Amino acid sequence: MRGLPMLALAFVLLVACNEAGNWLSDTLALPVPGTVIGILILLAGLLATGRVPEPLRRVATFLLSHLNLFYVPAGVGLMGYIALLRRDLLPIAVALVVSTLLAMAVGALVFRWAAKGDDGEGME
Amino acid sequence: MSDIGFDLAPLDEIAAMAFWLALIVGLYLLARRFQQKVNGHPLANTVLLTALPVMFLLAVDKQAMLQYEPAGALLLWLLGPATVGIAVPLYANFHHVRRSLKPMVLALVAGSATAVISAICIGWVLGAEPETIRSLAPKSVTTPIAMGIADKIGGLASLTAAFVIVTGIIGAVSGAMLFNALGVKDERARGFAMGTAAHGIGTARAFQEHEVAGTFSGVAMALNGIATAILLPLIWLILS
Repeated sequence: MRGLPMLALAFVLLVACNEAGNWLSDTLALPVPGTVIGILILLAGLLATGRVPEPLRRVATFLLSHLNLFYVPAGVGLMGYIALLRRDLLPIAVALVVSTLLAMAVGALVFRWAAKGDDGEGME
Repeated sequence: MSDIGFDLAPLDEIAAMAFWLALIVGLYLLARRFQQKVNGHPLANTVLLTALPVMFLLAVDKQAMLQYEPAGALLLWLLGPATVGIAVPLYANFHHVRRSLKPMVLALVAGSATAVISAICIGWVLGAEPETIRSLAPKSVTTPIAMGIADKIGGLASLTAAFVIVTGIIGAVSGAMLFNALGVKDERARGFAMGTAAHGIGTARAFQEHEVAGTFSGVAMALNGIATAILLPLIWLILS
């Protein structure tokens, strides 16, 4: 099991990037969440290295494919906000549906407009 | 990190945490199997399918809440490092970003701003509570980042997580129909718009449709997480 310590090390690297991001976000009072800064730190590291170490790729892929498991506490936390949800049900429902459709339409139309004449490469 | 509850916890507390962890992971694996059975239908969301029985148990037994909390905190803590892992697929697809830079940047800014501003305006016009509006604003961003943004602007992270999931389901169910109605056939545009508006759940759907669409959707999801995290606090300052 020579691979296991390397996988553990890759996990520690992810934790370290996240904690560094959190620390920077708190210390500099940035509006950006620490995790996003952590993503940028790791991305910068990968761009500098020029490749993804295999253990890191495996750990990241595994964790990302089970991301939903880590949301479960957030789902459970909803229990505390049932009154608020009931009160604002209409604005929430309208905002979610209309805003999502609008954002998709705007995103797709702007992309198509801006991609006109570039390397479409027959991707249609 | 100190709130995980490891330090000097009595044995029965550790046992309770192990029990809840095993229970949640077990329910999650069952939910996953069910989702595969129905061919990844977006309504068969594993977060919902796992959280609902846990909520039921906690509602029935109020004492259980104290025992559940350390397990919940540990899982929630793992969300951070797991999300940092997005950098890996983002790096792997960096050549796409470089090649379609102009349409990506423009679609990203337009789609991201539309999602945020329209959600805030609709919530405000229809008289939602300020906490609700703050929690709605980052709804198009992948959950862990959206929860971080909600925290930063005074929203409720749990509420945001639920809005994000529902947003993803709406996007996944309606995206293909909407793009067809608009006559957008470019798989890059379809995927990118899907990932911008409907994050990971939309990305999973985009991959079912076309590999190029899925790849662009994944890139859009990661970029929009970063873009919204930077832009939303600014938009929020301007609107308020």
